[in-house]
Order: sequence, then structure tokens, then C-alpha cells
Amino acid sequence: MPSANESKLKETLAGVLGIPAGTIGEDTSMDTVEEWDSLKHLNLVLALEEQFGVSLTEEQSFEILSYPLIKIVLAEHGIEFAA
Amino acid sequence: MTDVLTEFLRPRDEPPSYAQYTAVANALAAGNSQQTGRPPLKVAVLRNFTVEPLLPVLAGEIFRAGFHPAFYTGDFDAVQADVLNPASPLYAFEPDFIIVAQWLETLSPALTTAFVSTPAEQVAAEADRVRGHLREILAALRASSRAPVLINNFPLPAEPTLGILDAQSAAYQTNTVLQLNAGLLAAAQEQSDVFVVDFMRVFAAHGSASLVDERHWQIARAPLSQKALVPLGTEYVKFIRALRGKARKCLVLDCDNTLWGGIVGEDGLAGIKLGPTYPGSCFVALQREILNLHDRGVILALCSKNNEADVLEVLRDHPDSVLKEEHFAARQINWDDKVTNLRRIAAELNIGLDSLVFVDDNPFEADYVREQLPEVAVVALPPKAYASYRSLLSRPGYFDTLSFTAEDRRKTAMYGENRARKELESASGSLEEYLAKLGIEVEIGPPSEVDVPRVAQLTQKTNQFNLTTRRYTEGDIRAFAAASDSDVFALKVRDRVADLGLVGVAVVTYDGTTAAIDSFLLSCRAIGRGVEDALLATVARHAAQAKGAERIVGTYAPTSKNAMVRDFYARHGFAPVDETPDRATWSTSTTTAPGLGVPTWIHVRNGDPTHAVR
Repeated sequence: MPSANESKLKETLAGVLGIPAGTIGEDTSMDTVEEWDSLKHLNLVLALEEQFGVSLTEEQSFEILSYPLIKIVLAEHGIEFAA
Repeated sequence: MTDVLTEFLRPRDEPPSYAQYTAVANALAAGNSQQTGRPPLKVAVLRNFTVEPLLPVLAGEIFRAGFHPAFYTGDFDAVQADVLNPASPLYAFEPDFIIVAQWLETLSPALTTAFVSTPAEQVAAEADRVRGHLREILAALRASSRAPVLINNFPLPAEPTLGILDAQSAAYQTNTVLQLNAGLLAAAQEQSDVFVVDFMRVFAAHGSASLVDERHWQIARAPLSQKALVPLGTEYVKFIRALRGKARKCLVLDCDNTLWGGIVGEDGLAGIKLGPTYPGSCFVALQREILNLHDRGVILALCSKNNEADVLEVLRDHPDSVLKEEHFAARQINWDDKVTNLRRIAAELNIGLDSLVFVDDNPFEADYVREQLPEVAVVALPPKAYASYRSLLSRPGYFDTLSFTAEDRRKTAMYGENRARKELESASGSLEEYLAKLGIEVEIGPPSEVDVPRVAQLTQKTNQFNLTTRRYTEGDIRAFAAASDSDVFALKVRDRVADLGLVGVAVVTYDGTTAAIDSFLLSCRAIGRGVEDALLATVARHAAQAKGAERIVGTYAPTSKNAMVRDFYARHGFAPVDETPDRATWSTSTTTAPGLGVPTWIHVRNGDPTHAVR
């Protein structure tokens, strides 16, 4: 069972990037998704901060380049994902 | 429409999330105007900063306004390359609107981050340079495009380089930016259809500190924070609504716990809360704001489950009621449901449901109207949060327009005068007898310079009696009036009761011996007097006598609003030429036309051509 946070993260990524939520998984990253360019990345940071009520540091905004990395960074803010 | 788009349009209290805007923007970009059934609207964004985070909000709000958006985004800080070259991709895109997004820190470090190191004598020269740069952009745009231009002014510095000293001299940073904004306004006014988007006000109202994201500014030259995106995106779309006939026209108000605290039927005239102290003061403030809207030309109406006599007693006799009976052009005070009453109000005032804004404190009524009449904008006042009511009404800018004409100032008085006419009507035997008693005088001629804003406004706002619904800017109207192969006719009407002002417009183009009616429209408050017959007859006579036209061609382009004029040309003796789902074409001879004439009860005067725009 995916956690509620996991679903929310996939929805957010899908909305910002304009791709189906069903295609998002552990291998989703800036390298594998054509739509995920540096401008969309900016929108992604804003949408993630809004949806999860967090404020990313400058460093973290550069680190979140893939679905697994986003989960790791959000976990640092206390957002829990099923292991 | 996809689920994402349908969900986005569902009326509700809370604004959409930014994540939702991004999904909507992607769905719109993946679809097209046919799929959403909304006309396309092309927006070019020229910028010297990274505007991309703002685009999803712009896309969503343009869609909400009734259009399918498409964007052209100019290269970063390459505004001049785009605007100065008539063959640039900007002009090839053929935008309907052009946004010029300028960030002062990119434009001039000397006036922002480096202000303290800029010698005093260089500050003025630098401000002149920036002003000249903006003027040049606006002039170049106007030379190559007729699209309205939306250019922002500059927020005041949140942290001026001189700190508290900055406010002590007119030569310092804050005042320099203020002067620069005044210069930008002057440059905008030099061109037609250039409008200033007031970033200075939006940043002041929401707080510069929370609207700027220093992190994204440093990383990606994207200064706008997540909190800035919705206020600024909706601010831009207010202009698009105003210029495309989407501004609302009528404010419909509940009474108990909306115009005053408490229930007049139970608490009585002396018991309701309306006066100088809390919570009555909140209702006085709301009433004052409603009166401001009335004075801007917004029509007011009442829709209340109440005994009419109780409500009228408050409006007539309560010493602290800012609003009086005469401010309301229509009222439905009864025990029928509000959906029925809103329909009655729209019918009585001759306006569409999508021109209404409905205000109620009762969540049941608000939800019921949203459910049944999604085209009505609903302001649900949160129970007991009285102090928030005034800004809940004014902040969305439902009624914002880009002109404020003499007709607007008089508009709601005119609706009162219509009641006087109705009394005259019931005293007359036949309709013709009544119209003869009215003593209608019309004046038809080319618009003067002061008429141009009103003529453009009518093309932008008129929906029902409008044969082609073509929206024109002031620049368009001037161009039609000045060209030798086209004319603009302005129709002014007065009668025994009042002066209605400029209420009708015809735009005609000429080609050889054919005159084509490009636009023909009449404000809804002048319908039913036959003044349109006088306008059409004048257009035909002018075409024949001054332009040598033998035939006159008229077009009807159906919309969801203008069914009342479907048979307009047939009724005036025009013969059908061609009909497609999008348009029906009609034609008649200018000389033998049997259906063209001025009703006997109308006295026509020719407009004075001395001050006509050229």
C-alpha cells in the first residue's frame, strides 16, 4: 500500500510535469523524464513546499533531482513515507 | 474536458493550490480550444526575469475567465530584440495580449542594489535612461501590434540601501522609484491600449518581504515567491476580463447578517446591528464599499427572504444605513428560493446570469446558488467574521473595468429612471402612444475624442444586442474612424425622462459599391425604443450618399447571449446571402431598401463632425 504522502507526492509531480501519476516510480528523475527541465524544477520546488508545508533549503532545492531523492529530503522535514 | 479542468472550475471558497494550477496548465497545454469549447487567447510574455512559475496561474485564471490560453515566452532579458524586429517570433505569434514583465534589479543595479554607490547626479540620468528604455519598448510594440500591452511598475524597495535615511530625502532610493513609476505611467499614456499593472500596490498590500523569494532570485533569476503567484496572476487576468467583456455588472445582496447584523424581522429596526460601534461598524463599512461600487456604475439588487416592508423600513428610516432604497435597481424580497429570484433579477435588468455577483452569509444559500447557477459568482460571507466582509467583496475585483465614463456615473440612476418610464407606460394606451409621449431624440455621428473610450467600452461589454460581438480597443476604434474605407457611428439617446448618453455603436467598412456592417450593437438599457432602426437607417443613408455604396451587407454571428438579434436583418428587409453555424450574412440595397426607416416617434439629429476623431 502506498502511503498517503506517497500518493500526494506522485500527484504533485504529475501535475507539475504534465505526465500521468501512474508512470512515476523509483526511477523517475530529471534524467529520465523529458518534461523535467530546470524551469519546471523551479515550479516543482514551489509546489512541493506548498503541498507538504515545508521550506526547502537552497541546498535541498538542488538535491531533489529524482523521486527517491525528494522522499529523502522530505523525510528530513519529518514527512513520512512507507519504507 | 478532463477531470483536472472540471474540478478546477467547480465553485468553492478556498482558492486553488499552486500544485493544482500546474496540473491545469499542463492539461490546457496538452488540449486545445475545440476540446474545452473556449475561444483561444494568445498571450505573449516579454520579460527580463524568470516568469515561468507565474505561467500556470495565468493559464488557470485565463481559463476560468472563459478562454483557452496559449503562451509565447520571450527569451530571458531579450525584450528589445523581440519588440524592435517586426519579423520577430513575437509578432508571428499574433498575440491577443502582450505582457511586459520588468524587474528593476535587472534593469538597473544603480537604482537598486548599488544605489548608495551611485553618485547623486548619475541617479537622475539613470532614471531617465530606464524611462527612455521603457518608452522605446512601448512605442515599438505599438508600431507593430494592436494587442493591449500590460506593463508592470516597480515595487518600492523593501530594504533601501540607505536604511532609515532613505525616507529623509526626495533624492534617495524610494522616491526615485516612485518618480520612475510616474514616468512609466506617462510613457504608457502616450500610447493607446497600454495599461500599467500596479506591482507597487500588490507588493505593498501583500508585503514585499513575503512576495520575493531571494533563494530563487539568486538561483534562477526568479524573484517571485509562491505567495506572489496567485495575487499577481489574478491581477493580470483582471485586465483580460475587463477588455474582453468578462467583468461582472450587478451585485446582488442578501439583507439579514449581510447588510446589517441580526434579523430585522425578529430584532426590529432598533435591534439590528448597524452603526458606529462593533459589530454594526463592520456593516457600515461594507455598505460604504457597496456604495462605492454603485458610484462606479455597478448595478445593485436585493435578494432576501424577508417581508419587503421590514427591509424597506431599514433602507428608508435607519439613520446609519448608507444604502437607501433608490440605490437598488431591482429587488426580490419574498420567500421564494434564491435561484428563482436571481433569475428574475437577471431578466428584469436584461443582463446575463454571468454578470451577477451574489453575496450571502448563509452557507446553504451560497452552496445552493453555486450548485444550480454556476455562472453566478458567489461571495459566501463567513458567519460572524464581520470585519472581513468588506475586503471579501472588494478584493476579487469582479467589477474592475479600464474606463470610468460619464455613463458609468449615471448608470444606476438610469435604471431608476427606467422605473419612471414604466409608470408612464402603464398610463399610455398603446406602445406607440407611450413611445411618442417619451419624446425620444437621437444623435448619430462620428465619435469625438471624448467618446472613444465609451465606444470601445461598449464593444467590450455589450453581449445581448450585439450582432457580431467583436471586442475593440480604443486604438481599434480610432483606426476605424480615421481610415477612409471605414466609419464609426456613435448613437446618443435622450428622452423626456433623462439623457441616456452614448448607447449604440455601428462600425462599417466599405469596399467598392458594398458597405459591410462590421459591428452593430446597443446597450441593454436602450433596448425597446426603436433607436436601432434610426441607427441602421443612418448607416445606410451615409453609405449610399457619402460613399456611393449600392449594397449593404450585415452579419449575425451567434453567441450564447445574442439570440435576441438573430432576426435583426430579416426584420429590416435584408435578404439572406449565406449561412454557416458561425455566421449568417444578409444583404439589401441602400436605395430601395424597404425595411430601413426611422420610426415616427424618434427625432434624429446628425452628430457634430467638428470634433470627430481623425
